[in-house]
Amino acid sequence: MDIDFTSLGFETNFSALDWCIVIGYLIAIVSIGVYIRKYIASATDFMVAGRSLKTFLAIATMIGTELGLVTVMYSSQKGFTGGFAAFHIAFAAAIVTLFVGISGFIVVPLRRLKVMTIPEFYEVRFGRDIRILGGTILALSGILNMGMFLKAGSLFVTGVTGMTSEFHLKIVMTVLLCMVLLYTTLGGMVSVAILDYIQFVVLSFSLLFASVMSIRYLGWANIVDTVTREMGQSGFNPFDEKGFGWSYVLWMFFMGLVSCAVWQTAVIRACSAKSTSIVKRIYMLSSVGFLIRFLIPYFFGICALVFIANNQTLRGIFLSADGKANSDLSLTAMPFYMSQILPAGFIGIISAGMLAAFMSTHDSYLLCWSSVLTQDVVAPWFKKDLSSKARLLLTRIFIVAIGIFILVWGLWYPLEQDLWDYMAISGAIYSIGGFALLAFGLYWKRASRAGAYLALLTGFLALLGLSKVQQLCSPLLDPIKKHFEIEGDIPSAIIGLVVLATAIVLMIVGSLLLPDKRERATLMKLRSNLDGLD
Amino acid sequence: MDWIKIWTFFFFLSLALFACLSIVVTIGGFFNIRSLFKDLSAARQKAEHMPAGDIQKKS
Repeated sequence: MDIDFTSLGFETNFSALDWCIVIGYLIAIVSIGVYIRKYIASATDFMVAGRSLKTFLAIATMIGTELGLVTVMYSSQKGFTGGFAAFHIAFAAAIVTLFVGISGFIVVPLRRLKVMTIPEFYEVRFGRDIRILGGTILALSGILNMGMFLKAGSLFVTGVTGMTSEFHLKIVMTVLLCMVLLYTTLGGMVSVAILDYIQFVVLSFSLLFASVMSIRYLGWANIVDTVTREMGQSGFNPFDEKGFGWSYVLWMFFMGLVSCAVWQTAVIRACSAKSTSIVKRIYMLSSVGFLIRFLIPYFFGICALVFIANNQTLRGIFLSADGKANSDLSLTAMPFYMSQILPAGFIGIISAGMLAAFMSTHDSYLLCWSSVLTQDVVAPWFKKDLSSKARLLLTRIFIVAIGIFILVWGLWYPLEQDLWDYMAISGAIYSIGGFALLAFGLYWKRASRAGAYLALLTGFLALLGLSKVQQLCSPLLDPIKKHFEIEGDIPSAIIGLVVLATAIVLMIVGSLLLPDKRERATLMKLRSNLDGLD
Repeated sequence: MDWIKIWTFFFFLSLALFACLSIVVTIGGFFNIRSLFKDLSAARQKAEHMPAGDIQKKS
């Protein structure tokens, strides 16, 4: 897959000046993160910034986390392969986030309960064993989900800088990870929030600038014409079955809800907010951020397609004879395009912003999964409450352990599948069961532990969305494919929707057939009223 | 349905909204950071003047 674009006459614009900008920027933000250490006095300060984040800082940190380099990479790949029709994913994410902001669905009751993690809610609502099981599934799913982050980051660095030596690349990524580990273990959520703010500022303005530059360089009419020529109606209409189709659109609405209200890294922002009214405001305003975090990368992917499709040499490399994108190379298309059109100096700023976003996502995810492991998997085993100091130490140990795991997994494990499939499936293991437990646990009095167990374990069926797993389970799936006349793999969106429906049905049936002896919903409401704000 | 017109309008509207949000959050966030540090410093000073047992309870 390694192609030397320089020998083909495509030299990167990334210069020595850009390296200086990137290195200087990264050193500066790590120094700030380490300096902030002096403000950390307790586990609450470390994990949720003392629950004192106000609206604008909370929005910046939420967008800073969610607008990661990995999101930019897999979204630009979607734009490259799906054209303008991919915009529906951004639209769905914005609509759903706005709905959560207006209604307070899931996030407001969670904040009212003053929980730090979602499994902590599981314990309040369903019992300690559900917390441990839910915490284990959440951490497993989350850590696997971030397992490919370094891989995506390294592809970005390769594409932008024109770096060809794999050894140098591994060194760069290892150094980056060490920097993240340093400031996350020392500063916790306070440093994460401040650095996310800085990264939000750098990234949002540089992305806007790069969008304007792309339109000026390629021309809007040329972009639209090329997508029409290459993809036809399916490049614009998301419901066209040659492209995404109805099931995919529906699945994306659910994924939008998951990423803002069920995924722990987003929910932890709600838990860190000062009050429930701020939680609502954060979500309403963040809906624009959730929109943009997909929309601009899709646009860059589309621009990369236009740039490549209009050049015969590049077309031969990136696109097959029928105009379909080569999946191995489509991930690198966007960084390659950036390296060709952005001027020296600015490419350094945007790369620094992207790498900072890469670090920002890492720090938040590391903090999030280590907190879940400490609070929800290890701490519940102790009869006496673990001290704040012990929890802090344990969280830091987990941060380093997860860091080592993702370094080994991401850099040395060969990814033999589509990045988006990997991300969606690994995330769905948790999010399908998690959604059922949160929605029914918060809004249905009769939801029981039996229903919760069934819904959580059903999430594992989402693994069927992987094409390799489908091949392994072919004796089981072939009759279904034959019955519905499906050629090739069953689409992952259909698998996801079916598993989601199954989890919801099992949650209801399990709760009705095996109700709890003790009414836990009343206990939860009492706690909510005692601790509630507003 | 003219999807080209819809996505063109949607894209430019989103860019404009995000530009406004970026400016507002950049300015507002700066003041939030100042206030966060003030809160955390005050909490830290309070903790330093508290007996050890109380601090543990509070955490």
